[in-house]
Amino acid sequence: MSAFIDARTIPSGTVLQADLAIIGGGPAGISLALALAHTPLKIMLFESGGMDFDARTQALYAGKVSGVSYLPLDSSRMRYLGGGSNHWGGWCRPLDAIDFEQRSWVPYSGWPFGIKELKPYFKRAQDLVEAGHWSYDASDEPMSAVAPLLALGDGGVYTSWFQFSKTRNSVLPTHFGDRYADDLRRIPNLKLFLHANATRLHLAHDAASLADFDVATLNGRKFSVKPATTVLALGAMENARLMLASSDVAAAGVGNGHDLVGRFFADHPIPRDTATLVSFAGDIAGYYFDAYNLNGAILRPAYAPRDEFKRSANVLGSLTTVENAVELDDLGKAAVVSTALALGVDAGNAKAYSIGCGLELQPDPERRLTLTGERDALGMPRLKLSNHVSDADFARYRLTMKELGRQLLAARSGMIRLNYKTRAEWVQALDWGDHHLGTTRMHVDPKQGVVDANARVHGISNLYVAGSGVFPTYSASNPTMNLVALTLRLADHLKRAMR
Amino acid sequence: MNETRVSRRTALIGGGVTATLFAVAFGLTLPRLFGRRYAPTPYDDLLAHLVDRDRAARVGAEIRLAEPKFDGKAAARELRQRFEQRDIAEVCDADVREGRLAEVGGWVLPESLAELCALAAE
Repeated sequence: MSAFIDARTIPSGTVLQADLAIIGGGPAGISLALALAHTPLKIMLFESGGMDFDARTQALYAGKVSGVSYLPLDSSRMRYLGGGSNHWGGWCRPLDAIDFEQRSWVPYSGWPFGIKELKPYFKRAQDLVEAGHWSYDASDEPMSAVAPLLALGDGGVYTSWFQFSKTRNSVLPTHFGDRYADDLRRIPNLKLFLHANATRLHLAHDAASLADFDVATLNGRKFSVKPATTVLALGAMENARLMLASSDVAAAGVGNGHDLVGRFFADHPIPRDTATLVSFAGDIAGYYFDAYNLNGAILRPAYAPRDEFKRSANVLGSLTTVENAVELDDLGKAAVVSTALALGVDAGNAKAYSIGCGLELQPDPERRLTLTGERDALGMPRLKLSNHVSDADFARYRLTMKELGRQLLAARSGMIRLNYKTRAEWVQALDWGDHHLGTTRMHVDPKQGVVDANARVHGISNLYVAGSGVFPTYSASNPTMNLVALTLRLADHLKRAMR
Repeated sequence: MNETRVSRRTALIGGGVTATLFAVAFGLTLPRLFGRRYAPTPYDDLLAHLVDRDRAARVGAEIRLAEPKFDGKAAARELRQRFEQRDIAEVCDADVREGRLAEVGGWVLPESLAELCALAAE
């Protein structure tokens, strides 16, 4: 078992050589290293942080935000081995088939491939995130045997299921750094450097390949790495930052010939208390609030729009969960009693619940990351996020919720109150998922995407990007398991390409 | 002179019957005296479908507030067509099936029910 290397001990001026350099030790970087274990490739992985949180390292993430309120950039990410998984909630759900399609009502939509391309990797990704056996949309029946589902009439919304990551000791969820440290140490063809910050990518003079990159440490060491191939796995924000800051050969930055790097940033808005759901019959099953362990698969239901409904109503993805019991006001009680009586239902024990959700945003080139004039402790320019959410994004979710309300009425099982109507109400309720997506989007056309279908940066023969930054559209599904699947696909590509 | 003697048993039975008659008469009269009475409206045939007219009126007041120009007569004309030989549950089911929904203070209701509520609030 090899120890990790503390980059702060590498003498300045050292030049390291590798077949493959992975920059970033989050879920993508770690999954890639694990997938390429025991290959002939000499691999180096560079992680900015150590094994634990360190405030000075974390501060390298600080940046500015303008527009719609967003989390501080240094608190929506984690900069130590394991990356974003260190503050992950463990929520998993695969992308839907429609997420890959070019949808007429979603500008800039369409992946270079369909879901079939990712399906072979889902099982291994599910294993890596330790989310139990694959049972997402096959859980209605077994969970109904535990306790009845709240009935829905036929329509555009269905009960889907989240699964949750767990560690071996059932402590939620799997933190990739802790969980896979020993596995990484056992990989004979891997050297993992901690406290190693990539600060500059250097293109060859023809800008057609990456020549090397600089690494700096917070104790002042500086060295460089000359890899045959490099994969950026720093997360959607930091990948864009490093590419934009590396402007010595290409003035606009690496891979930014068409001014796309940093654009199309997205996260999943998580507005709180978007609706009130009433169950006429009273208490609903406990698994609606607290995930339920069904033979090793930890499950929680979510209301999702069907693909057909997305097409007919022109809505985007959303995943709606029941959160906590709430009291009704006079109007609410009157509405529930009047409706239940009209439907011939007893609502004497009716219970009301607050609803929360995660939303898919429409791709927007103006929701973007740019560099500021401020610099961090390593001299890297800091980021600024210009955040946008369109009214259409809220309106589309409202349509989905209204359909859910219709289906509850159709089943005579309950009803819904839509809590927000104005933009101000929506924005005030916004929280975010810390799911950074889309700044190095994938597209076959270099004018529309930063990376190609294999996640290789357009025009640069030996530079790839891993992670959810390459997602051209975002789904409502939480990205971790999906980005791991995409990374495993990249690993297979690299095995072929680097033979 | 013969005294007509009423046995204790007969008195008890008679008293019981009288009390019962009083109770029944009182019970029948009380709601008329003190119960909720509604002024006649042009929509009583429709409002008869509502089981709890007071609660419906509370919902209807919200509609009136949001739509001050709510046209009760036009709504009633439409509702009478929908209710022809159907009960309120059937009408609401048809609304839900056909996507005729109204939002009242955010609550998603069958449209016909919402209109009935608005008439109840007139």
